Amino acid sequence: MKINLPYAGIVLLIGPSNSGKSTLLRELVKKGDILTSEVISSDECRILVGDIDFIDYQRSERDEADILYDQYQHISAEAFSILDQIIQSRCRLNKLTFVDATHLYPDDRKKYIAIARANHVPIVSIIMDVDQNDLLTRDKNRENPRGIKRIKQQYQVFKREKRFIKKEGYLATYTISNSSAVEIVRSNNPVHLEIGNGIDIIGDIHGCYSEMIQLLVKLGYKRNHEEFYIHPEGKKFLSLGDIMSRGPQSLKTMEFFLRHVNNGLAYMIDSNHGWKIARWLDGRKVTLSHGDEFVEEEFILYEKQYGEEVAKSLKQSLKELLINAPSHYVLTKNGVPTLVCTHAGIKDEFIGKQSYDISDFCRYGDNEGLDENGKPIRKDWTIHHKNSTLILWGHDPKPKPLAINNTINIDQGVVFGGELTAFQYPEKEFVSVKAQKDYTDGTNNPFDEFKKQRLNPPNIAQFIEGYTVGTDILGEISISKEYVIPALDTVSHYTVPIEELVYIPPTMSPTPTPSSLENYLEHPREAIDYYRNLGIQRLVAEKKHMGSRGILLLFKDNEAGLKYIGRETLGVIYTRTGRRFFDEEMERTILLKINKGLTASNYFDNNDTEFILLDAEIMPWNLKAKELISKQYAHVSENAILDRNILMHKLESAVGDNQNLEKWLKEYDEKLKNAHVFKEVFQKYCWDIHTIDEIQIAPFHLLAHSKETFFDKPHTWHMEKNREFHAIDSLFVKTEYMVIEDQASEEDVIKWWEEMTSDGHEGIVIKPETFISTYKGRLIQPAIKVRGRKYLHIIYGMDYLQPENLKRLKHRNTGKKQKNALKEFALGVEGVQRFVNGESISRVHECALGVLALESDPVDPRL
Amino acid sequence: MQLSIRAIGQDVKVISYLLAKNPNNLYERDVNGHYVRMFFSKFTDEEIDVTFFVTPDPIELSRNNSQTYDITSYINDREFVVSSIFCTFLRSALGTALNGKPHEEYEQWVNHAFQFEFGFGPLASKFSDRAILELFQPLGYDVEITYGEADYNMNLKSESSARFIKLKGFTTLQMGLRQLFVLIPVLDNYKHYYIDEKEIEKLERFGEGWLDNHPQREFIYQQALRFKELYSLVEQQDQRADNEPLKKSDHKIRLNDLRYEKIVSIINQLPNKESIVDLGSGEGKLSEKLGFINGVQEILAVEPSQTASISARKRFEKNEQQSHFVKPKQIISSLFYYDERLKDKDIIVLCEVIEHIDEYRLEKVMKTIITDYKPKALIITTPNKEYNKVYEMDEDYRHPDHRFEWTREEFKTWCKNNGHKYELSFDGIGEEHELHGYPTQACLFTRKELNQ
Repeated sequence: MKINLPYAGIVLLIGPSNSGKSTLLRELVKKGDILTSEVISSDECRILVGDIDFIDYQRSERDEADILYDQYQHISAEAFSILDQIIQSRCRLNKLTFVDATHLYPDDRKKYIAIARANHVPIVSIIMDVDQNDLLTRDKNRENPRGIKRIKQQYQVFKREKRFIKKEGYLATYTISNSSAVEIVRSNNPVHLEIGNGIDIIGDIHGCYSEMIQLLVKLGYKRNHEEFYIHPEGKKFLSLGDIMSRGPQSLKTMEFFLRHVNNGLAYMIDSNHGWKIARWLDGRKVTLSHGDEFVEEEFILYEKQYGEEVAKSLKQSLKELLINAPSHYVLTKNGVPTLVCTHAGIKDEFIGKQSYDISDFCRYGDNEGLDENGKPIRKDWTIHHKNSTLILWGHDPKPKPLAINNTINIDQGVVFGGELTAFQYPEKEFVSVKAQKDYTDGTNNPFDEFKKQRLNPPNIAQFIEGYTVGTDILGEISISKEYVIPALDTVSHYTVPIEELVYIPPTMSPTPTPSSLENYLEHPREAIDYYRNLGIQRLVAEKKHMGSRGILLLFKDNEAGLKYIGRETLGVIYTRTGRRFFDEEMERTILLKINKGLTASNYFDNNDTEFILLDAEIMPWNLKAKELISKQYAHVSENAILDRNILMHKLESAVGDNQNLEKWLKEYDEKLKNAHVFKEVFQKYCWDIHTIDEIQIAPFHLLAHSKETFFDKPHTWHMEKNREFHAIDSLFVKTEYMVIEDQASEEDVIKWWEEMTSDGHEGIVIKPETFISTYKGRLIQPAIKVRGRKYLHIIYGMDYLQPENLKRLKHRNTGKKQKNALKEFALGVEGVQRFVNGESISRVHECALGVLALESDPVDPRL
Repeated sequence: MQLSIRAIGQDVKVISYLLAKNPNNLYERDVNGHYVRMFFSKFTDEEIDVTFFVTPDPIELSRNNSQTYDITSYINDREFVVSSIFCTFLRSALGTALNGKPHEEYEQWVNHAFQFEFGFGPLASKFSDRAILELFQPLGYDVEITYGEADYNMNLKSESSARFIKLKGFTTLQMGLRQLFVLIPVLDNYKHYYIDEKEIEKLERFGEGWLDNHPQREFIYQQALRFKELYSLVEQQDQRADNEPLKKSDHKIRLNDLRYEKIVSIINQLPNKESIVDLGSGEGKLSEKLGFINGVQEILAVEPSQTASISARKRFEKNEQQSHFVKPKQIISSLFYYDERLKDKDIIVLCEVIEHIDEYRLEKVMKTIITDYKPKALIITTPNKEYNKVYEMDEDYRHPDHRFEWTREEFKTWCKNNGHKYELSFDGIGEEHELHGYPTQACLFTRKELNQ
């Protein structure tokens, strides 16, 4: 007898003692059909917990019998509790388990049926049907006979139960009377698919046949004489389902897949529309809507053209194709499951399993019903994906392939006029073709819905445990929980609204090595050498203004504000930590002034943009930092001067009597001078503001317009833009810069730096000419700051230039700063790109929040 | 940081023996790279002047001791001002004088009073000149305060935050120094080392003979011990009977309690109260009270701030042993995100939360609560702006972080505009004024479909 074992799940053996259950399993193990670990028996569990598998409680003395019976019951209960736990664990891990116990009573069996169901694995029963006489004979010959009475009693129960078993809900039931003739058939996991030469996964096609063909051709598939599309390298393609409905050529598309799937050239998984059509084809009573009705219309035409017979046969084949389509596929690379393909979603614990509930979830996702307006209530299954398997899905059209939490949506709504996307695996490349048109009547267009929901508050579950951001220029960047929490606090208490916080500027590293000159901590030489060693020839040196960093998002008009950030405003100006830069009144005045200038010069129309995103320095320093300057810098300078002054006088008055004091006097003379330099330096960046005209804004990057980002432009271009803005409005100030390309220009820049910094200016920033620069394929520092000798008094303290101090300060490690600078730069670029691409605000926010997190102090471990 | 000791009159030369310092030598000790120094600038029969000062190593201070000294930047006043760090540095140099244990020969001079002038500074203190006078005048000193220069090229501050203090008085060296060792840390804005019970002992030793009778005794103790828990150890022994009159801030404290009481009583009358969300739970004061409500099974205390959450955690742990207390579950989250953990609860409470949110952001926040979380009941409290007149406040808000305060009409309109599908009932908390209403206004939202 042939027994088809499921890939995983429970095999329940049913039969009285001596019916040959253990014997059968031992034989199967011996033949190598099953593993010892796949068998779990109640007797062995009794030994495991109670040292014995059997107690003969038949005694003449009643009290003894009772106690022995109790003991046996107690051991059995413990044994079964362990047995059940092991089975549950194995079911969770998608393993196959034979349960060797009598399972005579319905409750014994129901328990395992429930475990199998809860863990989404099948359960199979094998009934050991042996004659009572044989049972009794065998019992007599065994080591611990169970006794005639017990065997007879068990057999009675078995005989009664036998006919009900089949209907209890097993995937299959096998009845064995002669165990030697059993043949075991085992199979691989039916949803596993080894990728072979590669698989191209295709999003929802919805009857857009010609786009599909176009995509296959683009992917390199060639049509052969039998009308099969075959890849010269042996790749195959896999559809994420919903190949039909809504669109123009459902039938043709289905026929196409029928032929390709049946010939082993393609794969297709189950989906909501697919399932509906399957049931319709099966003759069930279903209401065809949401574009399914077009499939019916196509069939009517087909039948008219080819006759009833042909149509019926096609229907039959298509029904089988659709019904047999698995809920999901797990693609394996060298046997390791690396990619999951599902239609609408999946839970981690479903992966690699099959059940009614899993199919349902994979078809529809985790919609928890509809709200009052008939909209699905949000529940973001992707957020709960925790393991490292990549999940590919469709069903819910997004404008661009959307990567969230190690899942990627590749339904770009071709039928709604979007795109048809393919994901090439294992290359992980996207290939797509544009729809020829919107094939729907335009109502309920998911892209409109997406736009409406773009500004929905991000789901905090996406961030709270730490998360990863996939960036174009630096790959995956992980943001760990301990830094996310303080960043969430910042966003919840201090920053501008999430939807306005589109970009947080990166930190910048100083020169990676300190100056080799004795009296300098930083010097342009080291920054230039750093880039030279990385093969960068052309550099741009920009004067570094000393104020506060400011991000300006400037809208063409209030409507543009509403469109992009959900608020009627001419813009928003915030600091590098996301806080509003000015008070409301001042911000309004400044925005209005800038807007007038930009509008008067036709900037928005000429550049075909609805907004401008600027990264700038805003002066004077005291504008934002007055409190800090007063409480820290001025306070320290007053105390230092007072302290040193009084001491100086005391020392001066005493030095005549005591020549030994000369040394201290000299020391304090020096220190007093340092304190005065300090006081002079920080005032250099401050002035009183009476009217807004005294404010200076120096934009150094034009990050984006509404339709494009400018990370592909060299810094010389950005500097020219800076001049253009200066010409438009006087609030914008020019930034001096020089290009370094040879020895002579290096010397010029150094000289320029010397002059400006000895005058107290902060210093310069040296950047590779290109905005995003790499060395041997790896991202390098986008900028290095070189601060002046005087300026650094307000960073490292007024006495920092004293040789014994400078010597120690030169031992600084910029490693962490550099690492963070790169990550923050990549996150910034990524966030702006996402914002310009019109992606959801939570996608933009994960970048901005990431930068805030990298700049946070770690959270208290108690939280 | 420096301390000068000047004395005039007969026998002042003896003081050098009380200090155990040779007037002809400079004194210099290296303490972890910081120099503790001393020199005499005057040493005559009738006048002596000695200066102790510390030249700290700024890098050692900020790099290696930033944790201990609470220094967050290379730019900090710790290397200049007199503070507990200064006292620690000087402890050993002034040991003989502080302990009153000079060479036998001079022991008789320990209790001899001289005409002294102590100069110390700079001082970084939040206290006013008057407060400084009130500390030193009762000890018999004339006080002279000099300010640093605050001349800047812009309008930054009206006066310097650096001061130098001179005290003139007739006292013993030991007494004078002990008073300074207690009062310098009291005046300084920080205290550098970990304050524990040893500090009480130090206060008692150095305070012997003057502190107990000082009119500012309580203030000195409070400042010196700094932390409430520590101070309460002294306070309990004290048992002072005098009841201070209620301070101005007391009405706020009481109003807080009334608010919690009101919310608890509203919840008590609600049919569904198994799960409650305290949105913006801060330090957990309300959540703690919710934990004692009969029939409550789950409380989610939602708060994004770390510091507040840690206080809340302690508060909840204190009650953990109580049998009828349901310990609130702390959730780090905020109103500006969507959080599926807050969905479908019986009650959400926003107690004094909305006024901390910019008005233009409220609509979105309410949308998330009403349409996504859908609580069976929602309780919102917020200040009633009209009542500010009773407090005789002008245009100010009750709290600097308030983004708005509403009149009763404004609150009503807002609730109506945002509370679709909910039944509203308005209420007040606190002492009612016949014209201006209650200090706090509240609204209970109950979901309509539940009533049908």
